[in-house]
Amino acid sequence: MSSAVAFGLRRLRRGWRSGELPILALAIAVAVAAVGGVGLFGSRVERAIEAQSGEALGADMQLGSRSPLPPELAAQARALGAAVLETATLPSVIQAGERSTLAAVKAVPDGYPLRGRLRIADEPFAPPRDTAEVPAAGTAWADLRLWTELGLAPGAQIRLGAATLRIAALIEYEPDRGSGFVDIAPRLLMNARDLAATQLIQPGSRAQFSLLVAGPAAALDEIAQMELPSNIRRLRPADARAEVRAAMDRARRFLDLAVLAAALLAAAAVALCARSYGRRLRDEVALLKCLGARQNFVAGALASSLGALALLAGLAGAAGGYLAQELIATLLAGLMPAALPPPSPWPLVSAFGLGLLILLGFGLPAVLQARHAPPMRVFQRELEATAGARLVALGAVAGAAALLWLRTRDPMLAAYVLAGALGTLLLLAGAAWLLVRLLAPLRRRVGVSWRFGLANITRRQGSSIAQVVALGLALLALLLLAIGRDELLEAWRNRLKPDTPNQFIIDIQPGQLDALRQFFAAQGLGEPQLWPMARGRLVALNGAPVAAESFDDPETRRWINREFNLSWTDALGADNELKQGEWWGREGRGQPWLSAEDYAVERLKLKLGDRMTLQIADREIELTVRSFREVHWDSFRPNFFLLTPPGTLDDAPATWLTSFYLPKDRRELLRALLREFPNLTVVDLDAVMNQVRSIVDRVARAVEFIFLFALAAGLLVLLAAVEGTREERVREIGLLRALGARRRVVVLGLIAEYGVLGLLAGTVAAAAAQGLTYALAQWVFEIPYGFSAALWLAGAPIGGVLAALMGWLALRGTLRTPPRQVLAANGTSC
Amino acid sequence: MIARGVRKEISSRDARLTILDGVDLDVAPGESVAIVGASGSGKTTLLSLLAGLDSPSGGAIRLDGRELTRLDEDARSAWRAGRVGFVFQSFQLLAGLTALENVMLPAELAGLSDAAARARRALDQVGLTPRLAHYPYQLSGGEQQRVAIARAFAGEPRILFADEPTGNLDTATGAHIIDLLFDLNRERGTTLVLVTHDADLARRCDRVLTLRDGRLHE
Repeated sequence: MSSAVAFGLRRLRRGWRSGELPILALAIAVAVAAVGGVGLFGSRVERAIEAQSGEALGADMQLGSRSPLPPELAAQARALGAAVLETATLPSVIQAGERSTLAAVKAVPDGYPLRGRLRIADEPFAPPRDTAEVPAAGTAWADLRLWTELGLAPGAQIRLGAATLRIAALIEYEPDRGSGFVDIAPRLLMNARDLAATQLIQPGSRAQFSLLVAGPAAALDEIAQMELPSNIRRLRPADARAEVRAAMDRARRFLDLAVLAAALLAAAAVALCARSYGRRLRDEVALLKCLGARQNFVAGALASSLGALALLAGLAGAAGGYLAQELIATLLAGLMPAALPPPSPWPLVSAFGLGLLILLGFGLPAVLQARHAPPMRVFQRELEATAGARLVALGAVAGAAALLWLRTRDPMLAAYVLAGALGTLLLLAGAAWLLVRLLAPLRRRVGVSWRFGLANITRRQGSSIAQVVALGLALLALLLLAIGRDELLEAWRNRLKPDTPNQFIIDIQPGQLDALRQFFAAQGLGEPQLWPMARGRLVALNGAPVAAESFDDPETRRWINREFNLSWTDALGADNELKQGEWWGREGRGQPWLSAEDYAVERLKLKLGDRMTLQIADREIELTVRSFREVHWDSFRPNFFLLTPPGTLDDAPATWLTSFYLPKDRRELLRALLREFPNLTVVDLDAVMNQVRSIVDRVARAVEFIFLFALAAGLLVLLAAVEGTREERVREIGLLRALGARRRVVVLGLIAEYGVLGLLAGTVAAAAAQGLTYALAQWVFEIPYGFSAALWLAGAPIGGVLAALMGWLALRGTLRTPPRQVLAANGTSC
Repeated sequence: MIARGVRKEISSRDARLTILDGVDLDVAPGESVAIVGASGSGKTTLLSLLAGLDSPSGGAIRLDGRELTRLDEDARSAWRAGRVGFVFQSFQLLAGLTALENVMLPAELAGLSDAAARARRALDQVGLTPRLAHYPYQLSGGEQQRVAIARAFAGEPRILFADEPTGNLDTATGAHIIDLLFDLNRERGTTLVLVTHDADLARRCDRVLTLRDGRLHE
C-alpha cells in the first residue's frame, strides 16, 4: 500500500469525529439505499414477469371476445394439433347469508389452465397445494379477499345469479390473473358446467369469453395468421406482460421521482459536507506541504480516504436498500405477481455505483481543492488558493446531470427534470431570501437570545437559504403526502352529492323493463331512469372506410378497436353540456343524427356535419354529427360518448341500464332484486371505489416510504449545513459565555435560530404544497380546491420543531464550550 | 481581587503538567497590573482563572467579594455579566452583529434596560459613532479593537481583563488603542489586569508581575 493511501486511511480513522464525514457517509448510504431498494424491487417484479411467460395467460395464446366465440374456431385450433378450452369471466354480486359483494366470477372447464398451475388451500392460512383440478360442478373456489369479505367457511353456500354453489377451497394462486379492475376484484372460480344455471349470461351481458390455446409453435403461428372477426382479440404472453409492465412502469416512475428527490438531496448534503471538510483540511494540507508532501501525495491521501468512506457507506446503504425492497414488496403485496423471485444483486451494484458517482461529482472536487492550499498558509491563514473553484461547481452540475440521466435513461426527460428542479429550487430560494430579508428588522425588537439567533440567520444568508430550501423540500414531500393527498380525495368526495347514485344495474333485457319499474315502485325507490344501450363499431368516416390503423394516436387506436356504446334520447341530462350545434329534442325522432361527446370529438377530430358509419349487429347505418357535448362523468349516472334521437336505432339489439342511490341500510334490497332478475349485473360503486381507494392507498404508502428517504436526505442537508458552522459557533458561544451569558441564553439563541429557520422552511414548503395541490386540483383532477388551512397550520410548526430539534441535537456539544476557549482562540493559550 | 495558592495542572494518560504552582496575588480596586512572562509560562491560563473562565486545580480566587472557586460554570457566567470586561488579542466580535449590537451584548446579558444608550455612548467615546451599523468585516483591525474596548467598558465593569490587546495591530494603531484603554480605565476607575509580551506596555501599569516556573514574581 502506498504511503499516501496509508496516510489517507489513517486520516479517515482520525477524522471520523470531525462531524462532516459521518454526515457525508450517511448521505451516500441514504442515496444508495433509496436507489437500491426501488431498483431491487423493480427487478424482482421484472423477473417475475419474465419467468411467468405463458403462465401470464394460462395458455400460449388467448382469443378474447365480449360475445361467445364461434365453435368452429376451437375446432380449427384442435385440427392444428393445439389444446383448447373456453372460459368466461363476468362481474357479478355474490351473496353469502346476509353479506354480499361484487366479484369477478370466472367459469372454467376441466383441464384449465393450459399453462401454469392453480394453487389452492382448504381455508385461509392452511397449507397450500398445487392442483390440476378445477372446482367440481356445484362447487366454487374463492380467493382470500372474497373469503374475508363474505365471511366464508369451508362448505359455505353462496348464491350467484340463479344458482347456489358450495365453497370448496381457497385460491392461493391463479396464473392468468391480470392487473385490470376485474382482476383486482375478489375472485370466484367455478365450473363452466354450472354457468347456465346462474342465468347470468344473457345477450349483451358484460361477460368476457376467452379461448385458451396451447400447442406447438407451428399451430400457434397458423392461428396467429388466421383471419378473425374484428370483435375477437388475440393475446400472446408478450401482450399480457406488456400490460403488467406498463402498469409497473407507471408505479416505477412515481417511485423514481421520490428516489430522485432523495438522491439529489443526498448529493446536496455530500456537497455541503465536502465543502466545509475541504476548507478545514487546508491548514493540514499547508502543513503537510511545509513538511515536504507533494500535491500528488496529498491528492492520493484525500482520494483514498474518501474512497474508503464511500465503500463503507455504500455497503451500509446496500444493506439498507435490501431491507427497503422487502418492505416495499410487503406494502404492495397483492398488487404484484404472487411469488416474487429472489432479487438479483445487480440493482444494488448499480446503486452502489451511483453512490460513488455522487461522491465523485459532488464530494471529491471540493475536498481535492484543499490540495491547492499554499504552504505559506501556516504563517498567514488568510492565504487562499484560487484555482479550482469552478471545478467544484462544474463537478456538481455534471454530477447532477449524470445522476438524472442514469435514473431516467432519457436525455430529454433528464433535461426537463433538471430544469424543473432548478426552477423549483430558484423559486424556493427566492421565497427563502425574501423571508430572511424580512427577518432583519425584527431583531431590533427582541431580546438578546433571539437577536443572537436571528442575527445568525441573516448573517449566514447563503447558508440559511440553502437550509431553508433543503428542509423546505423535505417538508414539501411530507406535507403533500400527509395532507395534500387526503384533502384532494376529500374535495373529490365532497363534490358528490349525498344522493349520488351508488349502484348501477346493467344487462336489463327489453322484456324486463316493466317488471323492473314495478319492482322500483314497490320498493319506494321511485321511477328509475332507464337508458337503452346498443353496441356499434365505426367502419367509415365521411364515406371513407376507417380502421385502427387509420389513426396515429395509440389511444384512438385502442378506442376504435372496441365497440362503442350508443344510446338514444330526446332530452339531455343536467350532467350534459351542449358545446356546439343544436339539440334535436322531440323533432329529431327517427332522424339519422348523432351527438358526440368531447372525447370522441377529440379522438376522431370530428366537425359538425361529419358522417359516421356505424356497424350495429349486422347492419350499417350512416349518422350525421349534429352537436358536441361535454359530459360531467362524475355525476355517476349513465352517459354515452355517442347519442342518437329515439326511433333511429329501434331495431338494434339493445340492453338497458340504470343507476340509483341505495342507502347503506337497504342493501338487502339487492338480494331481492337479484332473486327476481338473476341475469342482472349490479355494480356496487361503493365497493368499486373502496377497491380503487385501497389500491391507491397501498401505492401511496409505498411512495410515502420512499419519501422518507427524501426526508432523511433533506435533514442530512440541514445537518451538513449546521456542521459547516460548527467551528465558528464554538468560538461565538465561548465568547458569549465569557461575556457572562448563561447556558440558557445560549440554548435559547440556538433554538431561536433553528426554530425560525424551520418556520421559514415550513412556510416555504406550505406555499409550494398549496401551489402544487391547487394545480393538481385545477388541471389534473378538475375539482374545486382552495386555500388549505391545514397545510399552512401544519407546515410552519412541524418545520420549526423539526429544525429546532435537529439544530439542538447537532450542536448540543458546542453548548458546553467552556468560556476559556475564547482565550485559546487568541493563539496565546497556556 | 485576591488569589491564594492557585494551582493548575493538566493530566494526560501518562504525564501530569503543572502550569501554575501556587500563585498568590492581591489587586486593589482601581489598580492596574501587568502580567508578563515567556511564551508558555501560563499567563493566559492565569488570566482565565482570575476571570472565572476556568476553574483551578487548587487554591482560591476571590473577586469583588465573591469566592469564584465555589461557583459552577454557569453561575460564574451569570456573575461575570456586568462585572467583568474583556479585551482580546483577536478582537472577538460576533460577526453577525453590528458594532452597536456587539457593544450592547454585556449590558444586555447583565439585564440592563438601557443597553443601547450605553453602547452608543461607549462607541462615541472610542470615536466610532459613524460606524454603529457596520458589521465587523466592514471595519479595520484598529476599529474592531476599538469596538471591543467600547464593549469592554459599556457594561461599566469593575474589573477589566486584557489579553495581548495590541498583538494583532501595527505599532501606531496599537499605541492609539492602548492610550484609549488607559484613558477609559482611569476615567472609570476600573481594575485592570493585562497580559502582555510588550515591556513598554507593561510599564504603563501600576505594577508589573512576572510569571516564571508557575509562580508570580514582583
